Amino acid sequence: MSQSYLSRLGRACARITLWPSGLKISGLKILEAVRGKIAAVFTVLGRGHSRGVKVRWFKFGAWIVGTLVLLQWLVVPGFSQSPVKIQVMMQALEANQWQEMEAAFEEANPDIDLELVEAPNATNLVEDLYTSAFLLGDSPYDLVYLDIVWVPKFAAAGWLMDLSDRLSPEDEADFLDGDLAGGRYQEGLYRIPFRSDGGMLYYRTDLLAQAGYDPPRTFDDLIQISQSVQEQGLAQWGYLWQGQQYEGLAAMFVEILRGHGAFWVDPDSLEVGLDQPNAIAAVEFLRSTIEKGISPPGVTTYAEEETRRLFQNGNTLFLRNWPYVAGLAADSPIADQFAIQPMVHLPGEESGACQGGWGLGISATTPHPDEAWRVIEFITSREVQKQFILDTRYVPSRRSLFNDPDIVAAYDYYPQLLEVVENSVLRPPIAQYAQASDILQRYLSAAITGRMTPEAAMQAAARETRNVLGRA
Amino acid sequence: MAIAQETKAHTHPKMKISSRSIVLWVGVVFMVVFCLAPALWQVLTSFKTNAAISALPTIYFPSFSDLTWDHYTSLGAGFWRYVFNSALVSLLSTLLCLGLGAPAAYTLARIKLPGESLILGGILIVSLFPYVLLFLGLLEIVKFVGLGNNYLALIVPYSAINLPLTILVLRSFFQQLPRDLEDSAKMDGYSTVQMLLKIMIPLTIPALVTTGILAFIFAWNEFIFALTFVTRDAMKTIPVAVAQIGGSSVYEIPYGPIAAATVVGTLPLLVLVLFFQRRIVQGITAGAVKG
Amino acid sequence: MTQDLIRQREQRIGWLLLTPALILLLFVFAYPIGRAFFLSLFTENLGTQLQPIFSGLSNYHRLIEDGRFWESLWNTSVFTGVSIFCELVLGMVFALILNQSFRGRGLVRTSALLPWALPTAVMGLAWAWIFNDQYGVVNDILSRFPFWETNITWLGDPTRAMLALIVADVWKTTPFIAILLLAGLQSIPEDLYEAHAIDGATPWQSFCQVTLPLLTPQIVIALLFRFAQSFGIFDLVQVMTGGGPAGATETVSIYIYATVRRYLDFGYGAALVVVTFVLLILAVVLAGFLLSKARINVSGGR
Repeated sequence: MSQSYLSRLGRACARITLWPSGLKISGLKILEAVRGKIAAVFTVLGRGHSRGVKVRWFKFGAWIVGTLVLLQWLVVPGFSQSPVKIQVMMQALEANQWQEMEAAFEEANPDIDLELVEAPNATNLVEDLYTSAFLLGDSPYDLVYLDIVWVPKFAAAGWLMDLSDRLSPEDEADFLDGDLAGGRYQEGLYRIPFRSDGGMLYYRTDLLAQAGYDPPRTFDDLIQISQSVQEQGLAQWGYLWQGQQYEGLAAMFVEILRGHGAFWVDPDSLEVGLDQPNAIAAVEFLRSTIEKGISPPGVTTYAEEETRRLFQNGNTLFLRNWPYVAGLAADSPIADQFAIQPMVHLPGEESGACQGGWGLGISATTPHPDEAWRVIEFITSREVQKQFILDTRYVPSRRSLFNDPDIVAAYDYYPQLLEVVENSVLRPPIAQYAQASDILQRYLSAAITGRMTPEAAMQAAARETRNVLGRA
Repeated sequence: MAIAQETKAHTHPKMKISSRSIVLWVGVVFMVVFCLAPALWQVLTSFKTNAAISALPTIYFPSFSDLTWDHYTSLGAGFWRYVFNSALVSLLSTLLCLGLGAPAAYTLARIKLPGESLILGGILIVSLFPYVLLFLGLLEIVKFVGLGNNYLALIVPYSAINLPLTILVLRSFFQQLPRDLEDSAKMDGYSTVQMLLKIMIPLTIPALVTTGILAFIFAWNEFIFALTFVTRDAMKTIPVAVAQIGGSSVYEIPYGPIAAATVVGTLPLLVLVLFFQRRIVQGITAGAVKG
Repeated sequence: MTQDLIRQREQRIGWLLLTPALILLLFVFAYPIGRAFFLSLFTENLGTQLQPIFSGLSNYHRLIEDGRFWESLWNTSVFTGVSIFCELVLGMVFALILNQSFRGRGLVRTSALLPWALPTAVMGLAWAWIFNDQYGVVNDILSRFPFWETNITWLGDPTRAMLALIVADVWKTTPFIAILLLAGLQSIPEDLYEAHAIDGATPWQSFCQVTLPLLTPQIVIALLFRFAQSFGIFDLVQVMTGGGPAGATETVSIYIYATVRRYLDFGYGAALVVVTFVLLILAVVLAGFLLSKARINVSGGR
């Protein structure tokens, strides 16, 4: 569908007949002319007549002009020509946060008009919108603002331009490894990271101190401390995580997998590791948090916000979530009573933070790749990113910013945050990621809600994933 | 309401009628509660502060400190633009739908045409196609005809999607009208079109209003097409605008502002329905039933 | 001869009145539907660089073994069956009530339409919040009754999640049926009831013998459209459960939408569309056949 059948047909027709683009212009001219005529007639007639007639003509004229204006509006879409227009679409919320950068960019680059198109805040809808724009051939978007998990699919579909040659070695060294790795697909680099993200563990410092514990290091610590704190009546719940059937479930799970030394899909060999014993143990851990009453049964329906609200209400000890919670919780009943650390793991294994985040890619069909690259350079540059982080409290994609004095002065926990996001783990960068993720979500959801045993669920998930990857 | 019911019971001497009216009022109360409760909850949410929205235990009767106008003011004056867009698109698509559907329904009800059952079957079958799945094919058409970011890209599909319902409902109404009406009109020398405009259409006003309201509401609330075919901010409709209301983070669902937007976006519909629902009553039975 | 001429003239006018509507329907529906049938014979996905490669019936072969499709079809059927049944009963009750004359009927009528008027996507959010296990109103109300389980995770259990969806859908679309039936009731002449009452019929008898038969066209239309709408249900499920838990509420539309728009598996998605569409048509044809048979039986019995 890179070209629609209809448009192929259309090109054939266009050779024979006039086609709408031509018609539209002549239609516009006719409209303008007619409107002018009527306006003239209406002023002439309006002049020398008695009042009643005048009113009648006025009504008639107004009616016609109104109709024409309406028609013109319906038929003719806006057409404004300015220097070089670079369009990028993003969530409305973030487009608002970009306003200042946009203004600063345009001031520094008067020959480029950067236009931010607002999309709904649900990221799957943004993905849908980009997808349908690309499916129709020439996308109106020169730049693509990408979530890290879209990269393989968009790159495999041939919608993005390879940026490997454009990125300077200095920048390459400064960007977080995981964030940069998430922008690669096979040999190419398709996304320059702008703001990073990573999952981590929040814990209540006051409750731990009261119960006399150090922060947990392993999964067993987490369970033990939770149970003990719950028994002492210090907290209603021990540990909150995202268990709803959605992308966040897969993101949370890769951290548990890493902590168990297991893997999901190896991007190079396309080997699937979900049915290996340590992966099944990871699922058993999640299931046990519910069975032991550490996590509320409803955790299987929670996304980020539900868990954050519960944690902020004050009666939960641990929470797995993204960095955004730190900003909001600092302004809640538990302010100054929580801290962050990397996710727990098995003894002898490493912890991993699920790599998230957003960056910019260039559409393969844009007529202005150089101008688009100038936008990327500007937006992802150290100074611009720093100001953006200071304004919005997002996570930088440049290592050097985490310890920047101004940033640390504003957000004192950013050095710890660096520790978290440097140990990142990627969701598998494979073209069929969306499908693989859906399979995992379904079976993981079945396992944690008790519909299937962890073993059966992971075996089924592994089998279906292998089918999708053609490795059955 | 209980008072109204009692007085009514007393004014009627027969027991049978009073038990009937009790049943009626119980039904009315049940219906109103059933329909309004979730909607009122939404209205209440739109006035509650963010803290009150997610407070435990749930707040049913908020105190003054729990109430706020903020969600409404946060919508801004720009929201009227979206209301206008929705109104324009819904109105035109409804008119187009009724304008094309009524004559077609009349034809299918009254005039014998070769292949009529085939056409009817086609309309039936088309109505079974899940409309969400039309979007990719339609997107290609929209792009091909150059209608992207144009109100027509919404008006035409909305009309077409509502057309089968309109045709089938109106057809069944035309069929129920007594044939003598048309015969005598023909004797008086009316042409088919005149007869349709002057006699048949006025008689089917309840059906026209009914299908019109249903079509209008569908267009008012449609999301997927409105999201895909129109990306210019100035042309977006209410549901898309609501989806763009942001909270303090990308993860947060801003319940308060969304509820406020829903209330503002639904009020015009309510006024419309309140105004037109009388028309449902005034049809052929206008003399028999009193509203 | 004049008879023939008049008929010809009438037919010409008939076509004139009918054609615009048909053109509009063709314009919007023909291409997407035809395209689905055509594309279902090709493999076109990320594996083929999004180029269509003819593959005969292989998509259909894959579909037969696709457990997820059949599960979603089953989910959708359960959802459709239960919700349409409840909606029809409730809708009929509502229509009968609204057809009575009482004070404040205009307001009651408007409020009865309100659920249909509120946007599904937004009310989906509201319903999800209402069924939330910690903050939800449903659990809060239930917890006030003794002997009730508290903090029920409505959306985390397959059956309960389906139940929650059905409640939300019945709430939303009962007005649709009610208003269609109400318009039908309005066209039944009052004297029919009066004549029936004089014959000594109880209200229940006159409902069965006058109202139901005369209302049949509207009931059939309402059922048909609710069937189609309900089978294509998308946004409510997307917002409330996203198809979870464990895919227990995934409907056909959600699966196909994901296949096409997220997996970019166009050929297979088209095959899914075709099979769903054909099954729907078969279901309706079968229902129509049974209905007409039942009607013959009834009239034969008289």
